[in-house]
Amino acid sequence: MRRIYVNPLPVRVWHWINATGFVALIVTGLQIRYGGLIGLMSFETAVDLHNWVGFVVIGNYFIWLFFYLFSDKITVYHPELNPRKYYREAFRQIRYYGFGILRGDPNPHHANPYNKFNPLQRMLYQIIMLLIVPIQFVTGLLLWDVTRFAGAVEWLGGVRVVDTVHVLIFIFFAGFLFIHIYLASLGRTPSAHFKAMFTGYEEEEDEAGEDDPGRKSTRGTGGEPGLAP
Amino acid sequence: MRTAQKVLVIDDDEVVGRSFDRVLSEKGYAVSTALDGEEALEKCGSEEYDVVFTDIKMPGMDGLEVTKRIKAKCPWTPVVIITGYGTAENEAKAKVLGVSGFVQKPLTPEMIEGITAKALLEKAEPAAAQEEEMAGEVISRLPEVEEIEGRLKSVARFVKNVALLIAAPFLGLAYAIAFPFIGLGVAIMLGIRAWRQRSRTV
Repeated sequence: MRRIYVNPLPVRVWHWINATGFVALIVTGLQIRYGGLIGLMSFETAVDLHNWVGFVVIGNYFIWLFFYLFSDKITVYHPELNPRKYYREAFRQIRYYGFGILRGDPNPHHANPYNKFNPLQRMLYQIIMLLIVPIQFVTGLLLWDVTRFAGAVEWLGGVRVVDTVHVLIFIFFAGFLFIHIYLASLGRTPSAHFKAMFTGYEEEEDEAGEDDPGRKSTRGTGGEPGLAP
Repeated sequence: MRTAQKVLVIDDDEVVGRSFDRVLSEKGYAVSTALDGEEALEKCGSEEYDVVFTDIKMPGMDGLEVTKRIKAKCPWTPVVIITGYGTAENEAKAKVLGVSGFVQKPLTPEMIEGITAKALLEKAEPAAAQEEEMAGEVISRLPEVEEIEGRLKSVARFVKNVALLIAAPFLGLAYAIAFPFIGLGVAIMLGIRAWRQRSRTV
């Protein structure tokens, strides 16, 4: 059994703080937005908690950002500049998720510290971590103190626009959380990727794989979409 | 017409040879494989290869011994060590033998392509590379130059990384938007191909 160190400590710390923060933000967000439907806490408490946790999550994002900015593992987030190659690999991955996984075919992607994500994950996490998350932070910050940021809010089209964007992204993240957890269970064993996010190590059989020399070609060894950024 | 460049892959694991074959054949290389040192030396005796890849741990003769013998016979042939058991000791031994590279498994197709191209480039331009190395050595003897060069390199690397990081979500978004169209195109293409094949057999 090979052990591949794919999740360095700062990433693991960031991931679990982020996970906890996201759950708290979703719960308090639901309470703020749909107060009539659920009654877990008062509106004021929900707003206070949402604001505080929001700032923690923003601060935590910079752990992730600085780690990758000053690490050679930043290649994990580098885009594939050759579209032909990208789509070939992406369709191979889709074919695997579509029916290969059900037949026990080998996963075409093998994670390593510099290429942790399969093409679909890479695309998704690039968009999420470098576009959607920052947009959510900015809209959240503007809504936190609308008066202070009145100019910026106005420039973006008013409170209604900023609020709609914030809520739409919130709904997206609430849905993504479930998909993320489900896909994270598609590893070598259902708990493999979860364990890797605590230990840092993904485990892979020693046997050589078909696609890449020296790699095992069993199902789900690394590269599942559940792998956290 | 340019003849295909010949690559020999020596590994007791057949899968490794097949993987190299699949990756490099697509790129126009002619790939031969050998499962042990004896077979490899036999092949090297009857044919000249442009680059040789060898594993270290193999039954019988190990990869370092194979390298030594290949280098003794054809010192101009670039040999690259590919190993899953890379120790500092083995790496040092390999360097003494004049290998062109010492890479750890697992290898991605890009890595295979990259190290092959690099090894071939070294073979094609040994004199130029040597001259460049010598010139580089003279300049890099100055510690200030070395320091400035190091700083410049890390600044350039950082700028490149940031630029790629900024471009990444937009490129990702462009790929995502184009995905259904590309998918449809591929599906139509496959459909036409299947229909043509079917009408040919009928």
